[in-house]
Amino acid sequence: KSLPKAKYGGRHTVTMLPGGGIGPELMSYVREVFRYAGVPVDFEEVPIDPSNDSNEDLEYAITSIRRNGAALKGNIETRSLSPNVISRNVAIRNELDLFVNVLHCTSFPGIQSRHSDVDIVVVRQNTEGEYAMMEHESVPGVVECLKVVTRANSDRVARFAFDYAKRHGRKKVTTIHKANIMKSSDGLFLAVCREVAKDYPDIQHDDMIIDNCCMQLVSNPHQFDVMVMPNLYGSIVSNVICGLIGGAGLLSGRNYGYEYAVFEPGTRNTGSAIAGKNIANPISMMNSAADLLHHLQLENHSVWLREAIDKTINVDKIHTPDLGGQATSMDVIKNIITFMQAKTKSSTFTERIEFRQASVI
Amino acid sequence: RNYCNVRFASTRTVTLIPGDGIGPEISAAVQKIFSAAQVPINWEPVDVTSVKGPDGKFGIPQAAIDSVNKNEIGLKGPLMTPIGKGHRSLNLALRKEFNLYANVRPCKSLDGYETLYKDVDVVTIRENTEGEYSGIEHEIVPGVVQSIKLITEDASRRVADFAFSYAKANGRSKVTVVHKANIMRMSDGLFLRCCREASKKFPEIKMEERYLDTVCLTMVQDPSQYDVLVMPNLYGDILSDLCAGLVGGLGLTPSGNIGLNGAIFESVHGTAPDIAGQDKANPTALLLSAVMMLRYMELGTYANKIEKACFEVIREGNKLTGDLGGKGKCSEFTDEICKKVESS
Ligand SMILES: Nc1ncnc2c1ncn2[C@@H]1O[C@H](COP(=O)(O)OP(=O)(O)OP(=O)(O)O)[C@@H](O)[C@H]1O
Ligand SMILES: Nc1ncnc2c1ncn2[C@@H]1O[C@H](COP(=O)(O)OP(=O)(O)OP(=O)(O)O)[C@@H](O)[C@H]1O
Ligand SMILES: [Mg+2]
Ligand SMILES: [Mg+2]
Repeated sequence: KSLPKAKYGGRHTVTMLPGGGIGPELMSYVREVFRYAGVPVDFEEVPIDPSNDSNEDLEYAITSIRRNGAALKGNIETRSLSPNVISRNVAIRNELDLFVNVLHCTSFPGIQSRHSDVDIVVVRQNTEGEYAMMEHESVPGVVECLKVVTRANSDRVARFAFDYAKRHGRKKVTTIHKANIMKSSDGLFLAVCREVAKDYPDIQHDDMIIDNCCMQLVSNPHQFDVMVMPNLYGSIVSNVICGLIGGAGLLSGRNYGYEYAVFEPGTRNTGSAIAGKNIANPISMMNSAADLLHHLQLENHSVWLREAIDKTINVDKIHTPDLGGQATSMDVIKNIITFMQAKTKSSTFTERIEFRQASVI
Repeated sequence: RNYCNVRFASTRTVTLIPGDGIGPEISAAVQKIFSAAQVPINWEPVDVTSVKGPDGKFGIPQAAIDSVNKNEIGLKGPLMTPIGKGHRSLNLALRKEFNLYANVRPCKSLDGYETLYKDVDVVTIRENTEGEYSGIEHEIVPGVVQSIKLITEDASRRVADFAFSYAKANGRSKVTVVHKANIMRMSDGLFLRCCREASKKFPEIKMEERYLDTVCLTMVQDPSQYDVLVMPNLYGDILSDLCAGLVGGLGLTPSGNIGLNGAIFESVHGTAPDIAGQDKANPTALLLSAVMMLRYMELGTYANKIEKACFEVIREGNKLTGDLGGKGKCSEFTDEICKKVESS
């Protein structure tokens, strides 16, 4: 089933799904930055028409990601009202078995927000739960919607969370659930997390009910370290944390399966209202691009891009309106490009080789 | 500022369920403040400690059920949920018994009690009878569990209607429907459709549709953009607690459960066994729930008088209870409110 990954002449090919709203403009910024910084990545762009009921675009996109192994993605709209046409975003995650979504949420010191020094990793089950998309109208006016929780998927995502915690020197994993009400489904998820926790005696494990968790997040987010949860709660928790840190325009989210990886802005917003106005914050997509570069082991470019983001937001304070600033999207991008160009020029060939080796180890 | 119901023209007896832990203390405080304000109601206290029924199952005593059925209105302190298998929560039993289909939770920043957010004034209205709380779950094959979320037109329509009439009766201008119909297209789609239909009957109230995740994101950034929110059960459970978090937790937030066979108003916080019987509890949440109840009973003038006195005592800040960072006792805080009520 898995095709060999495309990499011709030392260059990587990556699928680009611009999506709707601000997606296309953010993608054009990524191309721009990559071009000026000499990043050896080519994009295969696959637009998906939101108003078309046929699955042709979608299937092509999925084939393309299978071939390339990785994708950079905006939020794809599904305008069709037909109940048979499921969300394109969900279809891609399910087809490629991208069972986990990871958001590393860290505060930006240069951004004024209600809480500072937040550092939380949200690990979310990404392919089942409430997003199973199995619904039917049993009798007119009565709709049943199935939520599916499986031991296998819960186990994979729990293991991912504990592994992540271990690899990154984290101390605690908190399982978020509603097992007091959904005793069997969320109960299974919680039980599996507790079992997996036994294999990681160095990592502390506790759990919290989703409604209490939201209340705790707004009053004291610092109590959390790594959090693991079923699909819908993941959407809620990651959006709450992004809101606390400074909004939809900053953080990136990573979708992983055993074979493929898809990178996208963390809150998965379309941003239709701000599209085409040169005011969207491009940082979340820049962070996604940095995640992608890291995944491709283009470690130096990835680190430079993160440094450029850090400098732009925290030092030069070039902020778009969503952060209370006056800068345009292009102002942000220009600043990033200037920094990237300086870095690319100044680094010597041997530095790059050493960097490469260090990052591989 | 009235609710939509005019059912209480002559009946002015209210069932009082003092509850467990700090429940009796804070109920007594509310009673005291009500008599200081000379509110024209009689309390009918009942005990809801679960008893073994004829079928051998534990449940609410018949006397309590009869009382609420007769009075159609009740005020309830916190109840201890016995932690034991198969023992249904009494809160849930009350909800079922009286068909309490809408849970209303106003969250408002209080002057004089510093929280991170200063501009919160939202009301969450949660469908309370179905959705993810249908309780239908099963294991299809080992390791695969299905849980059914049930959305019906009837339940969606009545909570939607309630939300809009609540907005109108309370001088609110906007209702935001919170949903996830991009994913749950049929179930949340049905809920959304019912809200759209209800909104047509209230042209003076603005209606807005928002994804649950987008509301989570923007609520913590700028809560002032929201007014009344209506949503299915689970989303309401989560968002109402999130909003309570914005204004300083459950200790201050009132709540009302509106039903087909009656309405029960309650404080959302727990029984606080750690401080029970020590005159340390803060009665504000139960008092504000009782204030909601008065508005529901169209006794708005009394409601305003009591609410004003309560907010003033909090703003002045010298009799605050421990949970608000003060040293005051429950009784001192209560007496202070009584004084204000009597002199107004
Ligand atoms: N990159 C960005 N920069 C600045 N603001 C953003 C960005 N992405 C999203 N937002 C803002 O976050 C909020 C939520 O996003 P948005 O409205 O797109 O959510 P949505 O639910 O996906 O809606 P829609 O599908 O209608 O676009 C909006 O206020 C939007 O302007
Ligand atoms: N009205 C109140 N006044 C003062 N403190 C309160 C009040 N309600 C709750 N608290 C405090 O908040 C904390 C949580 O108490 P709460 O009773 O809500 O949860 P709990 O201990 O889990 O009880 P339960 O099992 O009944 O839900 C306790 O430390 C308690 O003292
Ligand atoms: Mg969206
Ligand atoms: Mg709750």
